[in-house]
Amino acid sequence: MADSLTRAKQASHVLTAVLVVAGLIYAAVGAAMGDIFYLRLATEALIFGGLALSVDILLGYTGLLSLGQALYFGLGAYLSALVLMVVPSFWAAMAATAAASALLGLIGGIIANRVRGVYFALITFGMAQVAAKVVYNLRELGASDGLVGVPIVRINLGVFSISSGTPAAFFLFVLTFIVVLYAISAYLLDTPFGRLLIAVRANERRVPFLGYRTVTARLTAFVLAAMIAALSGALYPMLRGFVSPELLFFSTSGNAVITVVTGGTGTLVGALYGSVLLTVLRSIIGSYTEHHVIVIGLLFMGAVIFLPRGLMGVVRPAVERGLGKETGP
Amino acid sequence: MSAAVQYVQFVLAPQMLVGLVLGVAVILVALGLTIIFGLLDVINMAHGEFYALGAFIALALSTVGLPFWLLLVLVPLLMLPIGYVVERGLIQRVFHTGERHVTTLLLTFGLGLVLEDSYRLVFGPNPHRPDMPLTGGVDLFGVFLPTYRLFLILIGAAIIAAVAFIVYRTRLGAMVRAAAFDRNMAASLGVPVQHVYAGAFAFGIALAGLAGVLLAPLYSVFPTMGRDFILMAFTVVIVGGMGSIGGAVVAGLALTQVQAIVSLYISPVWSDPVVFGIMVAMLMVRPQGLFGRLGHG
Repeated sequence: MADSLTRAKQASHVLTAVLVVAGLIYAAVGAAMGDIFYLRLATEALIFGGLALSVDILLGYTGLLSLGQALYFGLGAYLSALVLMVVPSFWAAMAATAAASALLGLIGGIIANRVRGVYFALITFGMAQVAAKVVYNLRELGASDGLVGVPIVRINLGVFSISSGTPAAFFLFVLTFIVVLYAISAYLLDTPFGRLLIAVRANERRVPFLGYRTVTARLTAFVLAAMIAALSGALYPMLRGFVSPELLFFSTSGNAVITVVTGGTGTLVGALYGSVLLTVLRSIIGSYTEHHVIVIGLLFMGAVIFLPRGLMGVVRPAVERGLGKETGP
Repeated sequence: MSAAVQYVQFVLAPQMLVGLVLGVAVILVALGLTIIFGLLDVINMAHGEFYALGAFIALALSTVGLPFWLLLVLVPLLMLPIGYVVERGLIQRVFHTGERHVTTLLLTFGLGLVLEDSYRLVFGPNPHRPDMPLTGGVDLFGVFLPTYRLFLILIGAAIIAAVAFIVYRTRLGAMVRAAAFDRNMAASLGVPVQHVYAGAFAFGIALAGLAGVLLAPLYSVFPTMGRDFILMAFTVVIVGGMGSIGGAVVAGLALTQVQAIVSLYISPVWSDPVVFGIMVAMLMVRPQGLFGRLGHG
């Protein structure tokens, strides 16, 4: 017997499948037309979608607003760039990022989870600020220039390999990678652990009386989010060939929050749709005026006031109803 | 001996005075922030942009020919209705949702983005520097201090004292503190809570605008002027205790001195990480800050 949460999850999966199909068509058309710019732009949208996904795990499931997720995104980007400049191996960069982000996610989580609510938002914000300023000033990390000259990497997938220099192939790879991150998150959040997070969000004081430790749940969610943000960030230097301290700035964290809220908090897939939607909006509005932030900002404020569940709050219930009809009552 | 005196006179004391001026400036911005948080439980992410708004209104009105001294009174008065409308029109709309902290923070964050880009649209991205209303300098025990900076310290102290007087010693302030302490009880005793909320928000915004007018001659006027400044103001509010006026003053003075000393002895570029590090440490150890909240003693 499927309950409402399971049906919502299935609807998210359907919407992800739609996104994948759209991505495949997009890649085919882009490759056929020999396009580079739009394929690169779409790849970037997916990478930042991964960052938004990590914000949604915290905000949508645990109710914790992170204003400093750029810390882990930037960690992944810088670490991946550093590794690739020494050993041009995709898997080495990913392994290093996963290990470092798990460790730093644990440390950051222990610090941030000491506090609740608005203080959690401020402490994540503060930690990211410290990291951003340190990186901005460290000459070893290229200071304000960042790291340039990250080589093109061949991603060895066993039977075949993909070059990050081929736009269409790398786009498809990133699409797969982000969808895998989505699938892992969706799976973990559907286990009893995920239900526990939802319970923490609903009423944190009551959960311990039911025999669960809220601290462990919150910490696990934080580490998971940190790793997803870092692994998404690790793709960035492969796409652009450089990293800059802007990746760690508040605007990066802030954009991720805007993406999640516009796309639909607590739906996971909303983060990916939100990122695609905002990238499309930015390039359309940006071709008319350089003041696209006004439009994005107004849209975001409108979403906060009128659509608290975001875009997916409108779309997903319709998909759920469709699913309900198929399987019958 | 004389070398030590000269060191203090020409290196340490001027550095600390620069820190003091910045401290007063930051406190002026932080006061509005802390009052809004203490009363409404709202983290006003757009506060820096309201600070910039005060500076831009002053800039626009000064091109019409209005003198600085008139603007000092006029701009805060103009900011009052703006703040009132923002509170009633935007913040009240999401104030009663379950996750009030998050939604109001997100809403003011969006508002800040829109405001900042609007300034860029209207005034262009480049900095404008208004004329110094006071020129010349004074000799303070052998340390040179520009007159306007001295004026800023004095008027800043007067404004802080006036705000503390209004909040802690007047009937109006008592209503504000009552509403902060127990909203429902205050309402049942006849305090018009809705208007107190909107009024206090407007008051905080007006203070930010006043700070904008006062600091424009020192730090220039440009669209992102609020962004850098607000980080420091947030730190001050967190360390001092959210909603505490005394805390904002103590933390504002202390943190800017820390910044000044770090700039002198380590490097100016490391002053920001040190200050933000203090903020994170404070949130870990004592999230409520050094002092209590508004309306709680």
